[in-house]
Amino acid sequence: MDQKHDVWGWLLAVDIFLAGMGGGMLVIIGILDLFIGTGRTSLLGNLLAPVFIGIGASILILELGRPFQALRVFMNPKATLTIGAWFMSFAITFGFVYASFGIDMFFWSGWVFARKIFAVLCMVCGLVVASYPGVLLGRHKGRPFWNGPGMIILFLLSSLVTGVAAHILSGFVLPPSTLTDVLGTFPKLAAGLLTFQLLLWFGYILVKRSGGTSAEAIASQRWIKGDLSSIFQIGFLLLGTLLPLVLTLSSSQSTQAIGAALVLLGGIIMRILVIRGGEDRTWLPGEQKYRSRLPKGDETFLRAWNK
Amino acid sequence: MARYAMILDTRRCIGCHSCTVACKVHNDLPLEMIYNPVTTIGPTGVFPNVHMMNLPLLCMHCGNPPCVDACPTGASQQSPEGIVFIEEKKCISCKACIMACPYGARVPNHEKGTVQKCDFCKERVHVGKLPYCVQTCHQKARIFGDMEDETSEVYKLVNSSHPVRLLGELGTEPYAFYICESEVKL
Repeated sequence: MDQKHDVWGWLLAVDIFLAGMGGGMLVIIGILDLFIGTGRTSLLGNLLAPVFIGIGASILILELGRPFQALRVFMNPKATLTIGAWFMSFAITFGFVYASFGIDMFFWSGWVFARKIFAVLCMVCGLVVASYPGVLLGRHKGRPFWNGPGMIILFLLSSLVTGVAAHILSGFVLPPSTLTDVLGTFPKLAAGLLTFQLLLWFGYILVKRSGGTSAEAIASQRWIKGDLSSIFQIGFLLLGTLLPLVLTLSSSQSTQAIGAALVLLGGIIMRILVIRGGEDRTWLPGEQKYRSRLPKGDETFLRAWNK
Repeated sequence: MARYAMILDTRRCIGCHSCTVACKVHNDLPLEMIYNPVTTIGPTGVFPNVHMMNLPLLCMHCGNPPCVDACPTGASQQSPEGIVFIEEKKCISCKACIMACPYGARVPNHEKGTVQKCDFCKERVHVGKLPYCVQTCHQKARIFGDMEDETSEVYKLVNSSHPVRLLGELGTEPYAFYICESEVKL
């Protein structure tokens, strides 16, 4: 038996990474279409955004104890998970519809007004999909590292920066139909977002450590000197944030591509760490000692018992 | 309408774990599942002023249960009497309720692919019996009753003994009340 009780695992981290990245991509697509014009992002990127969200949602099904009853997740409108599931479904649908406007073989590809409407829908749904994991986690009163609105900003920002990175990479594979310098500004946008992300994470850890409850301080200590510290500092801060910040400012496209790939690496690492950081509840008196004494499930007497 | 609650008198609890075992037997729980653990705090202090306390835990059947709102399928529900329970056929074990519960009162059943929890033995309660852990507790440390009934022992104890609620600052309004020695802080 897991001493920490069963908690969410890495599959959820993958889900919210892919969904968040796809959501961030949709936000960017919508903003560019509404305020600059069509064809500023790669058709490949436009198609990949709903694909990422769909794959993420599919992966989440594997986390369920009864995967064949996954549709029940749509049932409770009060639950954040239900809201997230509905908006992911909308985002997938609207994302594919919007992408179809970029394919000339469809007779509606020239319908500008309809495309604008779906751009708005993509932007709204993408924003919700990008930020809802933060809402989901931030509402957990008994999880000291997650509790509070800060998670929303961290997840939204990470979704946007990974969305930008995904657009950069897809633009290298299949350039946008309208060749302007918009996509060329994405590396600088990514660098700006990464800088902001760096500052926010330092602020978040600092507030948790010194401005919250003792449970929050203990939970944040894992990120500073505990079991999560090396992966957080090297994997996320250095490789996933600082290094790509420098690389994306390079004039070389191949260097920018490497930087964008590292952004994605940082995004997945961040989510895995956040999920792990929420393992610790506000423990009840004596509970940790009690649970530490429970069998893990592989003891000799248990194996004999279960034969 | 009744509002069920439980008093846990830590002055009487001797940490025999009979409530834990009784619950496992009654609910036919797998070996790794426990609804109502009993933790030990201490011993603390310096001889001869030494103190130790046993703390029975269970689902708090909160007045504002975060697990119910977190459940995306509607499997987690609260009855009008305040009992929080899981409708098993709707549960898909997404673990949202496990993560949402600040008391660790929910446990996954890997065999069934669902999550389970203490429901105050509501089948027994509905026919006028006590929850099995209460019936089994030979020290009478667990006291179950209706908070709306002014003649009930629970009502009297809650209003006279200044009981403590665990993690009350979270706003969950737990309906498990702890009576402790006056010098003990939870």
